[in-house]
Amino acid sequence: MSRPFPYTYISCPCADTPVPDPARKRRSRESTQKPPPEQANTDQDKKLSAKDEQEEEDEDEEHTFDPRSPRSNFSLYPPEQLLYCEECHQIKCPRCITEEIVSWYCPSCLFETPSSMVRSDGNRCGRNCFNCPVCTAPLAVTTIENATGNGPQQGPWVLSCGYCLWTTLDIGIKFDKPTNIRSQLQKMTDSTAPASFDRSRQASRSYGDLKHPLSSYASIDGQSNASERDGEQAASKEDPAAPPMGMDARFAALKNFYRTQIAETSNSANDRLSSEFGFSSPGALNRLMSLYTTSSRLSGLYGGNKKPKSKPPVMREALTASEGLLIASENNEADIIARLQSPECGWDGMASIDQRATQSPDVRFVDDLLPLPVLLRTKRAKRCKSCKHILVKPESKPQSTRFRIRLIALSYIPLPTLRPLALSSTSALPAMAPTSDLNSLPPLRPIHVLLTLKNHMFDPVRITLATPPVTPGRVATKVTVLSPQFEIGANSDVWDEALQGGSAPLTSESRSGAQRGVPEAGKVWDKGRNWTTVVLEVVPGTLPGSSAENGNGDADTETNDVDVSAIAASRQDEDVLEIPVFVHMDWDADAQLDQQNVGKGSKPDDKVTRELAYWMVLGVGRIQASL
Amino acid sequence: MAPPKAAKGEYIETDTGNKISRRSQIHGTQHIILGGKTVIQAEAVIRGDLFRTTTLPPPTDPNNPSAPAASSPSTPSVAITVGRYSYISKSAILRPPSRLHRGIYSFYPLKIGDHVFVGEGAVVEAASLGNHVHVGKGAAIGSMAIIKDYAYVLDGAVVPPGMVVPSWCIVGGRPARIVGEVGEGYGVEGAEGGMARERYRVVGRP
Repeated sequence: MSRPFPYTYISCPCADTPVPDPARKRRSRESTQKPPPEQANTDQDKKLSAKDEQEEEDEDEEHTFDPRSPRSNFSLYPPEQLLYCEECHQIKCPRCITEEIVSWYCPSCLFETPSSMVRSDGNRCGRNCFNCPVCTAPLAVTTIENATGNGPQQGPWVLSCGYCLWTTLDIGIKFDKPTNIRSQLQKMTDSTAPASFDRSRQASRSYGDLKHPLSSYASIDGQSNASERDGEQAASKEDPAAPPMGMDARFAALKNFYRTQIAETSNSANDRLSSEFGFSSPGALNRLMSLYTTSSRLSGLYGGNKKPKSKPPVMREALTASEGLLIASENNEADIIARLQSPECGWDGMASIDQRATQSPDVRFVDDLLPLPVLLRTKRAKRCKSCKHILVKPESKPQSTRFRIRLIALSYIPLPTLRPLALSSTSALPAMAPTSDLNSLPPLRPIHVLLTLKNHMFDPVRITLATPPVTPGRVATKVTVLSPQFEIGANSDVWDEALQGGSAPLTSESRSGAQRGVPEAGKVWDKGRNWTTVVLEVVPGTLPGSSAENGNGDADTETNDVDVSAIAASRQDEDVLEIPVFVHMDWDADAQLDQQNVGKGSKPDDKVTRELAYWMVLGVGRIQASL
Repeated sequence: MAPPKAAKGEYIETDTGNKISRRSQIHGTQHIILGGKTVIQAEAVIRGDLFRTTTLPPPTDPNNPSAPAASSPSTPSVAITVGRYSYISKSAILRPPSRLHRGIYSFYPLKIGDHVFVGEGAVVEAASLGNHVHVGKGAAIGSMAIIKDYAYVLDGAVVPPGMVVPSWCIVGGRPARIVGEVGEGYGVEGAEGGMARERYRVVGRP
């Protein structure tokens, strides 16, 4: 989600592992004091060289955060997404945490699924929640509209999509009762495909569902085999209902078959081996191990004199339908092609790739699409990756929006909000718009933006802001923080705030710009109980190749616009004015562990000075291509 | 976020602090409950006239004028409830949901929670919008949909009828799907999702 201007992002320090060093930064701030005068009087034509200088300087200043660098994509987060670890005393972004699932729930019916059921339900809702296979909208259980009377609604039920008007009638499915639809559907889809000879298949293990004529013989073999096998080892692995034509059932049968195969092959030969070597691991591992063990017996075996009696057992493949074998019918492909070409199928009859991705692999036509049970979602607890301290723990109930633990960064770092100052910086430029249009900032016209930092901690905080004098990148925008060092008062109880009524930061409209005068260097613009507003003076740079750079802005703007836009497009979003700001904050916290947040533990005896430093990026607006 | 500059006196402020644009179209006001400090911008349409008619004889015409007359004296049915600090942007449409149930087409109440933002030109026909819900510009919320607390509907999304959007989820697209989750700090006062008081205060200021 890209945000509208103005926005603020905060960079998680995890991106560059050495945490930004305030001492280093201070030096950079000193160095930044010098460049502005010489840059201020650079002519337009000196611009390029100045920019080069700037770039060199940036290279020297490896700590200057560049919001445009590809790396910063991975470290910039909106403030509300960041967490704070009280053990590490650091901001934690989604990349420096680990997650643990607290509960699974269906996003449609908002019922929790016990973790033991999640696996067997295939991570999907086991109730009545389905998504449309055509458009993914949720399906509703509706009755076929013959029942308009007042009486208890009888009659068949269908799933219908309220978005694309697909219903299960399109694939010929009706339900007898409006509950437990998933199991109803499962029964149907398992039994519809084999054209259903007998339904008592669990008991009889019928194999009549095979299409291939020969398969009946095979199935007899298979049956005998299976019965043999069962007799042999009193198999604990009971086949789940042997009608293998449904996709899921066939998969289960195959899985089962291979499991028994592995067990059998390894057992028949490995009874000996395992007893000799004392392995009790699964058969597959056994066989692998036996390849590499250098026991005298096996080395003799592979050394040359191969004894036929120690021939390794061979796994066979599935032979019968009961084992999950599906023999493609002879003209299967031809049938499909014929159907594709038939006029009643057409393009619309084909399932799209997106639709097929969620269906079983042999689905090709819209008619084959089955309703999809809704995928479950999770509630997750979050832990700090480095110290395993738990940062977020939601309540497990799906409906609840509360948290048992929630250490969000906003409770610790000041919340930045950005707002353009509605008065033009120099009264000599009355034509300047009230800077409300942040999507087209005129280049080289100074604007003022108000940066409000609101403290959520119960301790007053000292803040130092620093910006590079000129934003990194090709568009050199000059930025000055008019009062880089200030304090923010402590947050107080919610009740105080409520009683005092609207004293939130942005309400200072009453003291509009005219009454407050012009922004002055070294002075805080506005201040409240737990917030402080400072002014940033911003002179947007010119876009490379724009007419403003040549100094003549009017005549040939039209012609220039084309290539300006072309150039701007060549480097994406170069016209976006983003200001990196380094924030250093320190405060006196209680030495008691983690009391800053609670605030009630008012123990003034021993205080510890804490500090925290991070980069943030202020998205001010978009620079206009020309004057 | 900042609303356009309104002409002086554009908003009527009620006793409970609702700021209602004179250019909004509100029908059936006796069936609408505003929780206070709600902003309704110009050209927003709120259909309080589409309330549930408890007509017992079903086969008759639901538009039967006798039906509302029969029901309204006993229980003035509520069509739309809006919580505190909710914000209905320009040209948004709030319409109570409706469905055909046992052959009767009837309306159901639309409940909107606190701190809800409904974007410009959005059409809301949901059964309920929870607290701190954000409905983006141009989004459409289908009939009987349920949007839980702190859900975020992206601009231009079409939430299909009957969909349930769980808390903290971001939905978008046509038809809308869950595409992500908002951060844990969403809804903190002053941050993203917690701007409702600010929005309210700025409205109607010169």
